[in-house]
Amino acid sequence: MTTTIVLQQAINGVVFGSLYVLVALGLTLIYGVLVQINFAHADFVTLGAFAAYFFMHLIGAGYILSIGAAFLVGAALGWLINASIFTPLRRKGNELLPLIATIGVSVMMQNLMLAWFGPIPYAFETQYSSQVIRFAGIFVSWQNIIIIAVSSVTIALLYAFMKFTFLGKALRAVSQDRETAGLMGINPNYLIMLTFVIASALAGMAGAMLAPVLVLTPFAGTSVIVKAFAIVIIGGFGNVEGTILAGLIVGLIESYTTQFLDPGLIDIVVFALLLLMLAIKPTGLIAERREENV
Amino acid sequence: MTQAAVAEPPVATGTAPLLRAENLHKSFGGVHAVFDISLDVSNGSIFAIIGPNGAGKSTLLNLISGIYQPDSGSISLDGQDLSGMRAHRRVRLGLARTFQKIRLFKQLSVLDNVIAGFHVHHNIPAWQYVIHGTAFTRDRQQCREEALRLLEFFGMGARLNVFAGELSYGEQRMLELARSLATNPRLLLVDEPAAGLNAAEVDVLLDRIRTLRSRGITVVVVEHNMDLVMNVADRIMVMDYGRHLFQGTPLEVQKNPAVIAAYLGGELS
Amino acid sequence: MGFLFAALCIIALPLIFNDTYWRTNLTICAINVLLALGLDFILGYTGQLNLGHSAFYGLGAYVSTLLIVKLGIPFWAAFAAGVAFAGLAGMFLSLFAVRLRGHYLAIASLGFAVIIYQVLLNWISLTQGPLGIYGISPPPAIVVGGTVIVDFRNLTAFFYLVSGFTMLVYLLLDQLVRSPVGETLTAIREDEVSAASLGINGAAWKVFAFGLGAAVAGAAGCFYASFVGTLVPDAFYVSEAFTILAMVIVGGMGTLIGPVFGAILLTLLPEILRGIGDLRLVVYGAALTFVVLFMPGGLVQAARMVQEKLRPAGRGP
Repeated sequence: MTTTIVLQQAINGVVFGSLYVLVALGLTLIYGVLVQINFAHADFVTLGAFAAYFFMHLIGAGYILSIGAAFLVGAALGWLINASIFTPLRRKGNELLPLIATIGVSVMMQNLMLAWFGPIPYAFETQYSSQVIRFAGIFVSWQNIIIIAVSSVTIALLYAFMKFTFLGKALRAVSQDRETAGLMGINPNYLIMLTFVIASALAGMAGAMLAPVLVLTPFAGTSVIVKAFAIVIIGGFGNVEGTILAGLIVGLIESYTTQFLDPGLIDIVVFALLLLMLAIKPTGLIAERREENV
Repeated sequence: MTQAAVAEPPVATGTAPLLRAENLHKSFGGVHAVFDISLDVSNGSIFAIIGPNGAGKSTLLNLISGIYQPDSGSISLDGQDLSGMRAHRRVRLGLARTFQKIRLFKQLSVLDNVIAGFHVHHNIPAWQYVIHGTAFTRDRQQCREEALRLLEFFGMGARLNVFAGELSYGEQRMLELARSLATNPRLLLVDEPAAGLNAAEVDVLLDRIRTLRSRGITVVVVEHNMDLVMNVADRIMVMDYGRHLFQGTPLEVQKNPAVIAAYLGGELS
Repeated sequence: MGFLFAALCIIALPLIFNDTYWRTNLTICAINVLLALGLDFILGYTGQLNLGHSAFYGLGAYVSTLLIVKLGIPFWAAFAAGVAFAGLAGMFLSLFAVRLRGHYLAIASLGFAVIIYQVLLNWISLTQGPLGIYGISPPPAIVVGGTVIVDFRNLTAFFYLVSGFTMLVYLLLDQLVRSPVGETLTAIREDEVSAASLGINGAAWKVFAFGLGAAVAGAAGCFYASFVGTLVPDAFYVSEAFTILAMVIVGGMGTLIGPVFGAILLTLLPEILRGIGDLRLVVYGAALTFVVLFMPGGLVQAARMVQEKLRPAGRGP
C-alpha cells in the first residue's frame, strides 16, 4: 500500500511542481536579464487565476480558453510593470529600489483584490476537476493531466526557445553581458520587455491552472511566492535548468511533507531548505559563477 | 607568450624589506592569475608593478591587501606574516590601498569620505559614542583638521562639501588617495591611478606620490603604462600572464630584451 | 531644541485628544515609530535590506509575554529578556546572512520572518497558536510608600511610557549615527569592499546593526503585547514587515527623523481619512511605490525641497 501512496504523492508533487516551475521560471528569467526581482510576480499568478475564473463564469468560455486569457492578462501585467517601474528606475542605478517598489505594488494588488473579490475563497470548478482516472490504486484527475500536459509543453517550448532561436540566445547574451550584447545590435530594452511579458504570461497561466486545485483567494499568490523564491535560489538565479529541477524537487517535498508530516509545516520545510541553500551554496544547484570585479 | 628572461633576484638593500612576498600562487577556475610571484619592497621606496592588461597585477594587489588569500606562498609586512589575515585587519598594520575602479562613498561628501578613513584611529571611550563627551568632541575636531590637511595636500580643499558622486574623475582619484591616507599607512598600494587622467593630472599625481615617499610612506604602484612609472619608481617589477618577467631599476627594465619583446613597441619609449 | 518641542508635543497630545480612540492610536503610533527606527538603523544606515523585521517584533512580544504568563516573571525582567532575545535573533540572522548581498539577503530575511511566523502559529503547545494568549497585563503600577503614583492601565500613562521610551531610543540612535559608528555603518552601506580597505570589519558591524535594530523591534513587541492585552501570531505576519518598510521609505530612509514621521503619517492617515480604513494597506502599498518612483528620499526629501523653495532669493537663477 505504501508504494501506492508514494506514487500518488509523486504525481501530486509533479503536478504542483510543474506549476511552481512556471512561476519560478518567470522570476529567474527576469533576474537573469535584469538582475532584479519582481516581488509582485506571485500576485500576477493570483490575478491570472481570477481572470480565468471570470472569463469562464462571466463569458461562459471553456477552461482551456480561460488559461489562454490568463496568459494574456499576465503578459499585459508584465508589460505594465516593466514600463511603469523597472524602466524608469533603471536610470537611478540603485539595485534595491525596484524590489522595494514592487513590494509596494504587491501590497497594493493583494489588498485591491481583497477589496474587490473579498476574502472568501472562490470555488473554481472546471469540468475536469471531478473527472478522475484511476489505475493501480492511484487517482489522477483530468485537471492534473491538463496541468502536467500544458506545463511540460510550455516549459519545453521555452527551453527550446532559449536554446535554439536567435531571440532566445539574445536573451541569454543580455543576461551575461548587457553592454556587449548591446554592441552586437541587440536592443536590450526590447529584450527586457520581452522577458517581462513572457515571464508574467507564464505566471498568469500558472494561476489559471493552480486555482482549481488550490484555494482561490487574493492571497493565493503569497503561498506560491514563498516556494517560488525557494526554487529560484535552490535552482540558481537566472538558471533555467536548475529552476526546472528545483521546482520539481520542491513540489515533491511539498507533497511528501503533506502526506507524512503536517501540511502546516510545508512553508517551514521549504524555507528551511532555502536558508540551508543560501548558507551552503547561494548560487544554486547548477550554478554559474558571477564573480564580483574588484 | 615570450620566453621568460632570467629573473633578477631582488637586490638586498641591507635594511629588511617592508613588504615581502614569496612564491605567491593564485588560480581562478584553473587559470593561473598569479604564478610564482616573489617581491621585496624596501622601506620608504616607490615600487612599481607593470604589465599589460590581464597580467595579474590587480590580482597580486588583491593578494597583498587581503581581498584574496593565495593558494600558496606567503606575504609579510614588516616581518609579520599576513597569511589568513583578512583585508580589514591589515589596515591596522599600516596597509592601505586604492582601487582600479574607483570605489568612493558616492552619497557622502568629500570631507565625510576622508573622515571615514579614520576608522581605526578613533580614541573615544565606548560610552561616549552614546553620550558625546569631551574625548568625543576632541576626536571629531582632530579628525576634521587632519581630513582638511589631507584634502589640501591633494588640492581638494575647496570641494569639501561636494558629494563624491559629483566630482570629476580626476578629483575622485585624488579623493580616494586622500581617504586611504587617512588610515595613516606605512605602505600604500595604488591600483592604476593614472587611468582616465589627463597629462596634467598625471603630473600632479606623480608629484604627490613622490612627496609621500619623502614623508616615509612606502608606495606600491600598479600601472600598465610604463612611461608613467619610469620617472617615479625606485624599482620596477614586470609581469606578464601572471608570471614574473623581470625586476630591476627603471633603466635596467628599459634595456631588458624580454621586457622589450613583451611590450613589442607598445608602451616603451 | 527639537527634543524639547517633541517632548512638549508628547505631553500635550493625549491631553488634547482625550478620548480612548485617539489615545489608542497615539500609542500605536509610538510603537510603530519604535519599529521604524529599528529598521532604519538596519536598512537606511547600514544598507541591509531586511524584509523580516516583523520576526523580531513578534519574538519580543511572545518571549516577554510567555515569560510573564507561564513563568510568572516580573514585567520588566521579561521585557529585558524579550528585547535581548529579539536582539540575539537579529544577530543570528545577520551572522547567517553575512556573506549574502542585496537580493539574497532580502529573501533570506523574508524566509526568516516566514519561518518565525509559522513557528508562532504552529507550536500550539507553547504559543496557543491562532487562538492566542489572553489577559496580558500592562506593566505594574509604580507604587511609592503604599500609594499608586502611576497606573499603567491608564491610557495616558501608558502612552507617556511608550513615547518616553521611544524618545530615549531615538536619542540613543541619533547619538550613535552622529558618531564614527554612523560613519562606519554608512561606509558599509555605500561600498563594503572599500570600507574594508579602511579597516572596517563589515561583518561585525552588520551583526551589531542587526542586533540593535532587532532589539528595538523586540521592545516594541513587548509594549504591543501589554498594550493590546491579547497576542495572536497574525499581528506578526510578514505583511507587517512590509508595513514597517513603507513607514521607513515614506519617511525617508537613512535619516532617523524621516521614519518617525513616516510611522506617524502611515499610522494616523487611515484613521483621519475615515472610510478608507479597509483600504489602509492599499494606501501603504501605493505610498511605498510612489515614493520610490518619484521621491525616493521620502518626506525628508520633500521637506528639503520645500525649504529650498521658501528660502529668500539669494543668488541669481
